[in-house]
Amino acid sequence: MTACIVIPGFELRAALRKRPGLALEPAALGPPAGAEPLIGSVTSAAEAAGVRPGMRMGEALATCPSLVLVEPDPAAAEQTWEEILRRLEDAGFAVDPAEPGCVYFETRGVERLYGGLRNALERALAAVGSTWDPRAGAAERRFTALAAANVARPTQALVVSDDAARDFLAPLSLDLLPLAEHEQQELRELGIRRLGELARLSAPAVAERLGPEGRQAWQLARGGKRARVRGRRPPAEIVESLEFPEAVGNELTLRRALATLVDRVLARPERRDRFVRKVALAARLVGGASWRRTLTLREPSAERDRIRIALGPKLAEVPAPVAELRLELVELSAEAGRQLALVEPSGAEARARLQEGLRQVRASTGGGSVCTVVEVAPWSRIPEARALFVPRDE
Amino acid sequence: MVADSRGARAVRSAGRVNEPRPALVEAHGDGSPKQVNREEVALVREEWRVVDRWWTEEPLSRRYFDVVLESGQQAVVYRDEERQKWFTQRGA
Repeated sequence: MTACIVIPGFELRAALRKRPGLALEPAALGPPAGAEPLIGSVTSAAEAAGVRPGMRMGEALATCPSLVLVEPDPAAAEQTWEEILRRLEDAGFAVDPAEPGCVYFETRGVERLYGGLRNALERALAAVGSTWDPRAGAAERRFTALAAANVARPTQALVVSDDAARDFLAPLSLDLLPLAEHEQQELRELGIRRLGELARLSAPAVAERLGPEGRQAWQLARGGKRARVRGRRPPAEIVESLEFPEAVGNELTLRRALATLVDRVLARPERRDRFVRKVALAARLVGGASWRRTLTLREPSAERDRIRIALGPKLAEVPAPVAELRLELVELSAEAGRQLALVEPSGAEARARLQEGLRQVRASTGGGSVCTVVEVAPWSRIPEARALFVPRDE
Repeated sequence: MVADSRGARAVRSAGRVNEPRPALVEAHGDGSPKQVNREEVALVREEWRVVDRWWTEEPLSRRYFDVVLESGQQAVVYRDEERQKWFTQRGA
């Protein structure tokens, strides 16, 4: 079965860890810098006062004048989420994180380890920690597992069998679907408020009204497709940070700090002879917010200047003075180096270069990003029916 | 062949090649395109129809136009008669 663990309002909870007193007050996650002024997750006190996630900031403050806006802290949220994922991995779950606060894993391998599905889910909830109020759901299909986790009470695990999935999904709200607000509104205006009502419509009618997203939503409302959950590859743990006595906004100073961090991180003994493939540059900004960028190098490298030059331009994007700069080696290559041949046969060299290029694309965009074109009906009069992109992962 | 990776998540399942994309088309009274994505049509090179799958729940009826735009760019657009919408498509 596929299991899903959900932590509602994760980013707000992560941001509130620094200000735990606010958890019981009306508080909401503010919009990121430069984004539309819409609020994010809200605390239960704010919800009781009539504030809803996605509300305009002005409307939310008019509804609840005592509402406290918490600045988003994506770096802290990402770090906390990573800690949770590692706890799950330590407990034997091969996790596939969908977004901070939502993770999937396959239960087949761990059921025997923990003596059954329920025990495995309870173990996973315990690994996350009860302070996060996690909810677990398990089902044969991914979307049903997500729906079950959203319905479950805090620290509860809900298992939905495939036979009962349609009946289980039918009374649930449309909010679970990955539809834009205006598309959800359109469905509500048509009198469709539950997944079951959407599932009963005909697929062409939904596709005509809402396009491909509507078609996908219709498919999810009927349980979604069966898809295998692939465990992620855990990132590396090598991190170096530099705290400034005073917040720094000068790019030149930040570049110097970056050079120091690159030197320090490359000198770490854990890196040994491995080359760096993917790096992340994060900053804690003045006022408590954070900023983070990841970068995949064209070729794995352990050259100081190359990494510094690749990361340098990112510093110009930092939106506010920096209190702390942090460099993480997210992914290291397994190989220690490459021995080049003096004269390589041209065909083999071309193939090797192509393989390396494809490997780099996979490393930067994830599995399934390299595809082969397979002709399925070249005689078809419908152009899009003639060939398919088929993911090629080997 | 490298798939389009502009989306936040990479494609993980098989996808169709030459998938039609919605187009902004202004048409003449006879149904031929006058403007494609806010660019004037200089010439309609060819026109044809594709009617297929009429025996299924998802019948297909398209009126294709191979056009040259004022910038010299060539484009293939079609009017989906079932959905009453315009699309652009490569490899048609």
